[in-house]
Amino acid sequence: MIPDRIIEQGTLTTAGDRASVEVRIPWYRALPGSCIAGAGLTIDGVSAPAESLRWRMNGREFTFDELATNVDEWWFPLDSAVLSGEIALTDAAEHEVGVDLTIYIPYIIISDTETLHIEEHDTKTMKAVSA
Amino acid sequence: MTALGTPIQGVTLYSFTRAFHGREYDLEALIRKVAAEGFGPGLEIIGFSSFRGFPTIEPAFADWFRGLVDELGLVTTSLAVNADIGIHRDRLLTQPELIEYMSRQIEAAAALGFPIARVQISLTPDSMEQLVPIAEKHGVTLALEVHADQYASHPRILALRDRYEKIGSPLLGFTMDWGATTVGFAPSAIEAYRRRGASEELLTEVVDLWNTFYQQGPPADQAEHGQRFGAFIGLAARHGRPDFGIDFGINGTGLFGPARVDDWLEIMPWIRHVHGKFFGIDEQGEEPSVPVRDLIRLLVENGYSGAVSSEYEGWHWNYWQSPFDIIRGEQAVQRSAAADAGSRMITDAAEARAILSTHLGQLQR
Repeated sequence: MIPDRIIEQGTLTTAGDRASVEVRIPWYRALPGSCIAGAGLTIDGVSAPAESLRWRMNGREFTFDELATNVDEWWFPLDSAVLSGEIALTDAAEHEVGVDLTIYIPYIIISDTETLHIEEHDTKTMKAVSA
Repeated sequence: MTALGTPIQGVTLYSFTRAFHGREYDLEALIRKVAAEGFGPGLEIIGFSSFRGFPTIEPAFADWFRGLVDELGLVTTSLAVNADIGIHRDRLLTQPELIEYMSRQIEAAAALGFPIARVQISLTPDSMEQLVPIAEKHGVTLALEVHADQYASHPRILALRDRYEKIGSPLLGFTMDWGATTVGFAPSAIEAYRRRGASEELLTEVVDLWNTFYQQGPPADQAEHGQRFGAFIGLAARHGRPDFGIDFGINGTGLFGPARVDDWLEIMPWIRHVHGKFFGIDEQGEEPSVPVRDLIRLLVENGYSGAVSSEYEGWHWNYWQSPFDIIRGEQAVQRSAAADAGSRMITDAAEARAILSTHLGQLQR
């Protein structure tokens, strides 16, 4: 699909001890929160702790545990979601941002108990701005 | 002898996924572009791709959409809907949940003026039978897509066909996806791997492996399908490029199906809609990996007068060519093939509406 579109260029933002970046769905159709199975956020080689990660879409913020059971909020193909986590940035002018996404494809059932999932990754370099 | 068919030209907005996702065109601008380019009259849309909040369709939105389609002289053909059986991470939908999930989308198809809902393989014969009253209530034909790695004579498809025959409802049928009957690993996909640094030796072996599977014909069952998928992964690993393995497997087994064109005869009377799946147009103006001319001839000679949605899927890897130029090229091949077969593609909206209604056995809307 289109993993090169995951990270929105120029959206790295810091607020206190947290950093965030806007992300696009690497898939052609909307998926509900339950299909957004996991993410990773890495800046300059340092990964945000998994428990600190949050996902904002449709004006609401979720933990990944909350997303797992949510079939009411959908990630539309034109919308940017915001992935954030606790991560301290250096003073460098440019930062290398890495995002991993695990997405379930709910209509592709590969066994009686298993749904296809895809793992996508994007890396982009950008300046950070303070919120 | 069967009267020659006159397929209806059209396109699915899926062909332009990269442009829509990249915010180059919003929904209205994209539909206007389709009309201005003459890619219709047939218009197919994927509900969950194009309509925010789908399958909820507000009446005012439906009015706006129908008005736009009418204004532009387009004809809505198929609304592609999804059987999201795995939407809950921890379990599959129960049968009542699935029927409810599909019913809402079928209702949306009717609200938006689509006479067909494209449904997917995870619906069993029992599910299709249970959906007949819903289809009848809304006057929507359910056309289950036959897509690689399935093919017309696949046991799951034949089981559906046999159930259709038993039920006898005019609202049950199939969507023929040309990706089930390709003749080669798409050259544009090979070019994309080359641009990502794959060696010529690896690329030659990928093509050779696919050609071997083509000679063997489509996989007999899921086990053989899995073995082929694994062979692509193994090939990439042996060449030190395991990162290409899954991609080779997905494309080599799920996009480029190796069944023969005449395999479609197994289900021909039940074909209600067609995805004219293709991957690119070469310098000679032909599709090198999908036998578009043979497929159009097959449809014409078997009296098919439904819609063909040109479905360009090379956009996954081809970021260097315009999808609009490529659709233009493929539709020219379709029109030429229909003429060679002694018929023509329908490009006039009024004619398309009348022919589609007759084809679907429905009252004209």
